[in-house]
Amino acid sequence: MSETTVRVAEGPALVLAGYDGEPLTSLAAYRAVGGYDELEKARAQDPQAVIQELIESNLRGRGGAFFPTGRKASFIPTPDKIAKPIYITVNADESEPGTFKDREIMLKVPHRLIEGCLVAAHAIQSSHVYIYIRGEYSREYEVLQAAVDEAREAGLLGGVEIVIHRGAGAYICGEETALLESLEGKRGQPRSKPPFPAISGVYAAPTLINNVESITTIPAVLAVGPAEFAQIGAPPDSTGTRLFCLSGNVERPGVYEAPHGITVRHLVDDIGGGLPGGHTLKAVMMGGSSFPVMTPDDLDTALDADALGAKGYFIGSGVVTVIDERTCMVQFALRVAQFYMHESCGKCTPCRVGTRWLVQLLRAVEDGAAQESDFDLMLDVCDRIIGKCLCVLGDSAAMPVASCVTKFRDEFRAHLEHGGCPFGADSQLAGLFAPVDQHAHTAAAEEAPV
Amino acid sequence: MSAELVRVTIDERDVHVPKGTNLVETALAAGLEIPVFCYEPRLGEPLGACRMCLVEVEGTPKLQAGCTLTAVDGMVVRTARTSQQAAEGQNATLEFILVNHPLDCPVCDKGGECPLQDLTFRYGPGNTRMSFEKLTFEKPIPISPTISLDRERCILCYRCTRFSEGVSEDLQLIAANRGSLSVITTFEDLPYKGAFTGNVTELCPVGALLPTQYRFEARPWEIVDVPTVCGLCPVGCNINATVREGKVKRILSRNHPEIDEGWICDKGRFAFTHLRAGDRLTQPLLRVRRHGLEAVSWEQAVDEAERLLREAHGRVVTVFSGSETVEQVYALGTLLRRGLDSHQAMLPEEISGGLDAYRLPLSSIRDADVVVVLGEVPVVERAPIVDLWIKAARRNGARILDDADDPAVAEAERVVLIWSGPGGRGGTTVAKLAEKLGLAERDGCGAFYLPETPNGRGVADAWAACCDEEGEDIDSIGLLVVSGDEAAGDDNVRALAEQADATIVISMFGGLAAGWADLVLPGTGYLERDGTFVNLEGRLQRLRRTVTPPCPDELEWIAELAARFDVDLAPYPAAIFAEVSQRVYGSLAYGEVGEVAPLRGYPEAPEQVARQPLPVPEQKARRGQIRLVAYKPLFSGPAVERVAELQFQRPQPELELSADDARRRKIANGDLVTVGSNGSAITLPARVNRRLRAGIARVALEHSDGLHGIVEIAKAEKVSA
Repeated sequence: MSETTVRVAEGPALVLAGYDGEPLTSLAAYRAVGGYDELEKARAQDPQAVIQELIESNLRGRGGAFFPTGRKASFIPTPDKIAKPIYITVNADESEPGTFKDREIMLKVPHRLIEGCLVAAHAIQSSHVYIYIRGEYSREYEVLQAAVDEAREAGLLGGVEIVIHRGAGAYICGEETALLESLEGKRGQPRSKPPFPAISGVYAAPTLINNVESITTIPAVLAVGPAEFAQIGAPPDSTGTRLFCLSGNVERPGVYEAPHGITVRHLVDDIGGGLPGGHTLKAVMMGGSSFPVMTPDDLDTALDADALGAKGYFIGSGVVTVIDERTCMVQFALRVAQFYMHESCGKCTPCRVGTRWLVQLLRAVEDGAAQESDFDLMLDVCDRIIGKCLCVLGDSAAMPVASCVTKFRDEFRAHLEHGGCPFGADSQLAGLFAPVDQHAHTAAAEEAPV
Repeated sequence: MSAELVRVTIDERDVHVPKGTNLVETALAAGLEIPVFCYEPRLGEPLGACRMCLVEVEGTPKLQAGCTLTAVDGMVVRTARTSQQAAEGQNATLEFILVNHPLDCPVCDKGGECPLQDLTFRYGPGNTRMSFEKLTFEKPIPISPTISLDRERCILCYRCTRFSEGVSEDLQLIAANRGSLSVITTFEDLPYKGAFTGNVTELCPVGALLPTQYRFEARPWEIVDVPTVCGLCPVGCNINATVREGKVKRILSRNHPEIDEGWICDKGRFAFTHLRAGDRLTQPLLRVRRHGLEAVSWEQAVDEAERLLREAHGRVVTVFSGSETVEQVYALGTLLRRGLDSHQAMLPEEISGGLDAYRLPLSSIRDADVVVVLGEVPVVERAPIVDLWIKAARRNGARILDDADDPAVAEAERVVLIWSGPGGRGGTTVAKLAEKLGLAERDGCGAFYLPETPNGRGVADAWAACCDEEGEDIDSIGLLVVSGDEAAGDDNVRALAEQADATIVISMFGGLAAGWADLVLPGTGYLERDGTFVNLEGRLQRLRRTVTPPCPDELEWIAELAARFDVDLAPYPAAIFAEVSQRVYGSLAYGEVGEVAPLRGYPEAPEQVARQPLPVPEQKARRGQIRLVAYKPLFSGPAVERVAELQFQRPQPELELSADDARRRKIANGDLVTVGSNGSAITLPARVNRRLRAGIARVALEHSDGLHGIVEIAKAEKVSA
């Protein structure tokens, strides 16, 4: 497997500060670029002051929900108010299709993640940190575990215990409450909220859950100062930098750190070198597979939550996957729907049933066996899923499908007129997803009793 | 506890509910229904999985699940009645639920009494837009000999798995796979075994989990559910017997919130087919010299009974089973004591009135701070539902102890004592303990004794009430009257019969009467009787005749015999009860016992005159010694023996050993051990039970080969197969 390109594309280096191609996996290397200085500074401060700095920086969650990190930390009761342990759980179950930034953080700057954990632990006065890492990330696990061990030996943990827990391969365990269930050794299924994890999280105790990138950004917030951080990117809400995950049919895919606010076109054309071989951009999987796809007319939208939101898009986990004209959008929607059908946990009705129904409908379109009225039926099924499920997985399946049906209706219709897929074998979603036979979820989906 | 009240407006109605009440309950308080599938308050925390209870909440853009969202002051809620959005949400949920549902209502046993059917009619779409093949599964799957699972009908509400996890705590029912392929299954595909499995067939809101006995047996419009009380153990769960064309087809729970909370055990649910056992007697049998037992007419039988009774005047001894109604015992007692001056009876067990001062409903166990369970017989084997209450108490944070001297007992506010045998002198011992702890005057405190028989107390009450004379000891038994199947199946009773000049056996089953009776009179079962029972709380409850027995009711021929001995006795339970009630139950009228009977006091309880004639001396184990407790398992007895599908529930031959005793003897789980005492020995596999006290070993009576008391236990020598 070739190494992923990871670099600071433009703007200040925050998450990747000090990284210049050589991973900062050893404590010495990280120390050499000023590592753990922010921890020392933070520990000299009052915990509340650290939370206040996070609030001022307006750092938002990088896992997809974009919730203000400082505010989330402020919901955690202080130890004098509750007779339970307080936990931090780092969500390293990076599973959103198109997302591959957290693994690079863990491979390249593992100590910055640990430093972030320790600063957060100080801020909410916790001494228990769980890092729930995606099961398939074995190299990442080893690198991170070695870094934790080194930090412990160097006496940096300061009474905080960091436990890395390996997941078992379910996408849903990236959902925070399902992650907590899984962490407790139960079946990975989401809990209904409220109560929110800040009040009743792991083992029914207050729990702060943050994405790897969010936690890793915390030392950077302290390093540049909250006021300064709040000016980086696209203030007021999209502050700081992002590790954008650029992939698909683009010349130079990779993880690029850049400030919020650069346009999608700039990322694709200038940073990513555009599309190879004279291909033309047909769509962008924007934010992750869970969100509506972007059409070329919106390429000049800034990668800023508000600007994207105004046009019905989401910044998600910073995913920009380029889809070119060779791709059949029905096949694309089908593959996305198959993924969610396979990953639906089965707990609530609309998601469990609706995802399978969508797969059946899309399969019929792809085979030319559908009717025009099925397009509206699909949109209605999507509508009946969105906002009615226990967690957001159902929405994640319905939103991209609905956007494909709406935005590429002509292409869908061409399938009916053609009596099958006009792309035929020429579209294999090349460069987007692994071939069908290499995907556990699609293989299982094909075998499923239908 | 006075919880803070909040005001909620729901469909324009204002209602005040305690803060934290969920919206489904809030709506109920306002007289409105929010439809549900997965919500079931008896299963603990709501799940929010089925999405049937979606409501609109002002200020929240998305629909909310009414079962998980709790009321907040000033909240404005709209249900499907007034909110288009909520109505569409519920319609959507039903459409999704029905997408893969086979819609086989015409052949489904749940059809006509199915919540899915009902809610679809009221809230669902009239048509389907699903045009693809539905998910199919192999069906039906027998998850046990008593329960069939149809996965195609299952809507995955997880009620069954939550029951298994959070009520019966057997952890056997689970969901496997993920997403649309999720299925309900048993752990490792083993049969779903346990005391309470059948409850999932009632919890299931569709026809997915069905009692196998009921498959294709009846339709809802041709059945009658007769309310009565289970007569198989001293709990007296309230039940409905589903009757079709004069036959009991099914037993359902009938929620008595103080006794059973709507749960019943598998014995109570599935053992009813013993009514139609192959050896059920319908005709009297008379021993004819050289021919054995021969069927005779009832006239002949009553004449013969009269003759045997006259011959044994003053020397009739009666043995009771503890499963007779109060009225049966009173009638028989009146005949024998007033008409024949025969006052000797062997009551099924010792029952003391000493606990009357410590009475509580069983449900108060759940609210206790400390529950002390004394004795070595597993509670579930003797009074299964009590085990569920204890589990509920533990989930509520109560401490479950096995020692009344534990300092936590003295510190706790609400203390409940439970004596589960063996011994215990009918409750006297635990009553003394309760007195020592001063529980009588304390709120929420009390004590229970778990008797061995369903109506031991009622039998004792009635026998004592029917005559004031005590009579004198007799030196020989002229006639032994054996009442009921448990007595008829007891080896001690058979030994006693050998000393008697003659024996009359009243039994439902030929198998229990053959070989030793001179006259056999067919008996009836608890589902065929009208009368009263007294349960372990001391609660008087009403049994109803759910089906006509295949033979005359006992009261009929007892009254006829009584007339021949100039004893005035009506053959009607109401009339007999009136007499008993005057003496024991404070003149309560038969019609006022109630279908959901309250726990009443015992105003005029007579002193218990009869005693257990065969007391078992209790041996105390010395240090290092082991006392073997042979207990009567829940799944045993004449009824269970006659139900083929319950045989898998019977205990395996095994010896339960405490971890301490096992370690000391180097015995591991599964090792063969020899248990010996006074020269006789049995060999059984061992099971180490960490909850068992050191010095105690336990075995099911049927595997004990008569052993009990102090025993020697050692690892058995290896025997080559």
